[in-house]
Amino acid sequence: MGTENPGRPNFPARPAATPFAAAPPQNVMPFSSSGPLVGTEAAGFRPTPPAAPQPTVPFSSSGPLAGSQSSGFRLPPPARYNDPSVPPPASNVPPTGGPFQRFPTPPFPSTVQAPASRVPPVGQPIAQPPAPPVSFRPQSQIPPVPMGAPPQSVNSAPPNMNVPYSVSDSSFPAPMTNFQSSFPGYARMQSNADLQPPPMQSTFPSHRGGYAPTPPTSSTPFLSHQGGYVPPPPVAAPLGLQSRDQMQYPGSGPPGSIQGLIEDFSSLSIGSVPGSIDPGIDPKALPRPLEGDVEPKLFSEMYPMNCNPRFLRLTTSGIPNSQSLASRWHLPLGAVVCPLAEAPDGEEVPVVNFVSTGIIRCRRCRTYVNPYVTFTDAGRKWRCNICSLLNDVPGDYFAHLDATGKRIDLDQRPELTKVRSGMIEIVAQTIRSCLDELPGYPRTQIGFATFDSAIHFYNMKSSLTQPQMMVVSDLDDIFVPLPDDLLVNLSESRSVVETFLDSLPSMFQDNVNVESAFGPALKAAFMVMSQLGGKLLIFQNTLPSLGVGRLKLRGDDLRVYGTDKEHMLRIPEDQFYKQMAAELTKYQIAVNVYAFSDKYTDIASLGTLAKYTGGQVCYYPGFQSAIHGEKLRHELARDLTRETAWESVMRIRCGKGVRFTSYHGNFMLRSTDLMALPAVDCDKAYAMQLTLEETLLTTQTVYFQVALLYTASCGERRIRVHTAAAPVVADLGEMYRQADAGAVVSVLSRLAIEKTLSSKLEDARNSVQLRIVKALKEYRNLYAVQHRLGGRIIFPESLKFLPLYGLALCRSTPLRGGYADAPLDERCSAGHTMMTLPVKKLLKLLYPSLIRLDEYLLKASAQVDDFKSLEKRLPLAAENLDSRGLYLYDDGFRFNIWFGRALSPDVAMNLLGADFAAELSKVTLSERENEMSRKLMRILKKFRESDPSYYHLCHLIGFYKYTGKFSKIHSIPSSAIFVIYRGLNMLVLFLVRTLMERFIQYNYQFEFRHWFPSGCVDG
Amino acid sequence: MMSMDLIFWIIAFLINLALMASTFYQIVILTDLEADYINIYDSATSINRIVLPEFIVQGVFCASFLLTLHWFMFLITVPVTCYHVMLFLKRQHLFDVTEAFRFLNAEKKFRLIKLGFYLVIFAIITGRLALSVFEFLSDADDATQLF
Repeated sequence: MGTENPGRPNFPARPAATPFAAAPPQNVMPFSSSGPLVGTEAAGFRPTPPAAPQPTVPFSSSGPLAGSQSSGFRLPPPARYNDPSVPPPASNVPPTGGPFQRFPTPPFPSTVQAPASRVPPVGQPIAQPPAPPVSFRPQSQIPPVPMGAPPQSVNSAPPNMNVPYSVSDSSFPAPMTNFQSSFPGYARMQSNADLQPPPMQSTFPSHRGGYAPTPPTSSTPFLSHQGGYVPPPPVAAPLGLQSRDQMQYPGSGPPGSIQGLIEDFSSLSIGSVPGSIDPGIDPKALPRPLEGDVEPKLFSEMYPMNCNPRFLRLTTSGIPNSQSLASRWHLPLGAVVCPLAEAPDGEEVPVVNFVSTGIIRCRRCRTYVNPYVTFTDAGRKWRCNICSLLNDVPGDYFAHLDATGKRIDLDQRPELTKVRSGMIEIVAQTIRSCLDELPGYPRTQIGFATFDSAIHFYNMKSSLTQPQMMVVSDLDDIFVPLPDDLLVNLSESRSVVETFLDSLPSMFQDNVNVESAFGPALKAAFMVMSQLGGKLLIFQNTLPSLGVGRLKLRGDDLRVYGTDKEHMLRIPEDQFYKQMAAELTKYQIAVNVYAFSDKYTDIASLGTLAKYTGGQVCYYPGFQSAIHGEKLRHELARDLTRETAWESVMRIRCGKGVRFTSYHGNFMLRSTDLMALPAVDCDKAYAMQLTLEETLLTTQTVYFQVALLYTASCGERRIRVHTAAAPVVADLGEMYRQADAGAVVSVLSRLAIEKTLSSKLEDARNSVQLRIVKALKEYRNLYAVQHRLGGRIIFPESLKFLPLYGLALCRSTPLRGGYADAPLDERCSAGHTMMTLPVKKLLKLLYPSLIRLDEYLLKASAQVDDFKSLEKRLPLAAENLDSRGLYLYDDGFRFNIWFGRALSPDVAMNLLGADFAAELSKVTLSERENEMSRKLMRILKKFRESDPSYYHLCHLIGFYKYTGKFSKIHSIPSSAIFVIYRGLNMLVLFLVRTLMERFIQYNYQFEFRHWFPSGCVDG
Repeated sequence: MMSMDLIFWIIAFLINLALMASTFYQIVILTDLEADYINIYDSATSINRIVLPEFIVQGVFCASFLLTLHWFMFLITVPVTCYHVMLFLKRQHLFDVTEAFRFLNAEKKFRLIKLGFYLVIFAIITGRLALSVFEFLSDADDATQLF
């Protein structure tokens, strides 16, 4: 570049130690392109200067990109480059300092003349290394000098917890891996779609960057040099160290800002010739979430003291700094909280005993003490991280501060550090084991009532040997006989309870009374329990038919569907259920509804009880003990024994200017921001959305604190606190970069399901699609012009699965199709379940795993624990189903085992025994007397153990049976895989069609051909 | 005859006052709920207790204008009545305790608009009342002068 650009002779003149001196010939090339680019930045937003026509081909394309990106940037780079106040690190500053100050001016004239036609300067800043990796290779072999020095300077910097960017160093490795995983995807895309070269190339260099943590403001200006000066370091670690430097000393030329590239160019060409069915897309190129849910590492690495993402996930960890920015983010802005999420062993949340000092919390905003608070005044005061109020430290809690301002007792304070394992493990384990042995637990109280057309209570006082049954048949005026003896202490009345349970099945053996006085029985149970609260399990076999709360058969009227009254079928018919739910919550009673009927049971009404009391709905349509028995046993046992927090309330606090405004899940709001949860357990998650109260946020960081106040099963009143911090960003691209697709999908699904309660299914689906499309369009607008994206949809790396999940969501049981596509009860129960699911389980339900089994089963050498080969998930696409194969399709709720048409008869015979020729959907899989069958059972057991929340029931599907069933697929319960299988073909078409339609709808000003690159590539 | 009119306007005035008081009371409760001064169960109970009586009184109010052939007043009050009937038929007239906070703002807005509406009617009724008082008094004067 020295040769080409008069403004840059200084560069090669850098000390001989720099890589440039060592390998001048190679370096010239990068400089030639990057030099002008720097100029463009400084020049203030002009595209590539004429100097850019570089000798190498790659540059011609990538150069302009970089130029235009930086040109859109808001921060005038010159200010930064010239900033003399930047403290130079020992070795590398002097050389770099000089040249830098000169940057802005000399290249300026040349850039002004830049051919603007190439790339209009519209884009947002994205880090953009100018050259493809190939040209860098020679350089990277030379150890660049700047790499040595910066680490020192970084290390010497005092680690400050509260400054977001100080920890950015550590976060580097994540983006790296991220990129690499996604990289092959791009390559594939390029090969098969009509991608235009420039964007593709730009994806390549990005592996150097991935620096998402670096704030765009500081990093972007430098991006263009970095390409020229410093070869991409081959190792991740040094790079990470450098990143800080480069923010301060652009001259040292690090790749700091390449950050966003990666995701910015996950583009996907989707287009088809109008009117043709051919999607014009290779399904293999579509991104598939085969790794399952990947928690965003960026977030936790930027703020290493944040709580684990399993407890709290934000839909984007970049909090918009203004309302206008927030409004351009069309996706939900919020969080998904699973306060009691199950932790792997050794990672229990520590229990802190504050008995001596009282719980430490902020005087004003009531925030609990957490790792982000800062101690000042020699340890006598602490500053609240949420409202910045200076609080006194109570005498008993006082500890001196060390030289860096940290408390000397930090190691012993789990609430201030983020301890992963600890002293309290024993305590937690003890509590757990108590819960696991529910029958022996000394405080447990238990009671039973049965009901048909009358209500039967059971006196189980410990002095009795046999339980006494009392029948109340006056349903209009319920009274409870012997209120004190109906709910008895389990340990005292153990034998009576056992006797009762032994005799219960025989008591109603010959009962032909099919009436159900559900409402009165619920009221009676409420009266019995209202003194204590607790959990009420309702096992309901028919539609409530007597007394208050009786329900009518509804939902079989086809004419209602598609009208404005359709949603009425999905909300409770009788106000009784809502009122009862509110009363139950008031008295801390959680309701879990188990329904078994194959006929209409009105889950919409019954489920309301669970919805507002923090409970859950378990629905086993057409229950048969031979088939569903194991599932019920497992799920009931889990319901009874999993760690449960009682009488809880939950609140999420956040910093000034931001406020949580809406909450979604199974709970009742007791005040504007207080969720009442009579019972919480690890299988429940709650979503919430936040809004900006102020037009402009002035803080750098927003803190979130989830506090769950509850009674542990041991009787202690506890507060579980999860704290997280997230940076405030001023750039939409950064918000996308930090987005968490899982959390976004989770919030979106809850919003959609809520929408089905007030409007048509179609509207709910449309709202999901519309939001995704709007978001992608907004994203596209950031980069569209400069990359001539034509008919391509681009999406950020972080959200690359979002369209797929969105479409899967539209095909999920609560949302899919119309009347005939899912029975009303199944729809409602699936809706209730999805409203509670934690992120991971939801994603697995939406995009189940598909695993090929036959190869493993046939492998003679396979060892018992050799499950490695089974961990490979296949994309859910038709071409992945080999008719010779045996597949396991696991959505977290059931296993569908798919027998290929041409599966070897041996395998089928071994697994199914004599049933091998029977109708597969009627066969139950059981262990046979051969090794293969045992092996399969072991595999299934293993998978079940890895996901214990729900029991996976097996459904067998034989593809060769499909003829004749094709048309009425929905009526066959076990045809799920078939539907999905078809669905995925659909999915692709759907993706193409719907998204295209939407895009067209929203971009009618564009010409049609722009959207169909296959027809007109350079549109 | 004149005195009948006066009595009617006095009654209408009182009913309108009662309606305003009820609406205002509900607004106060909702505001308290928003500020967390009152718990949700109590607020729902106290609001729901007076919702139906208010609807009935408002219906009677409206009907009385129709029966006494006060067409203008009837037309003014009939939209609120229709709205009440619609809410009642849709079974949305009661304050939903389970979803209270989701609909809090809408409920408050609805009641504020209603209060404004009642205020307008209040102004009209006050005018009409003053007019009929004046007429009554002048009639009485006329009557005395007749003697």
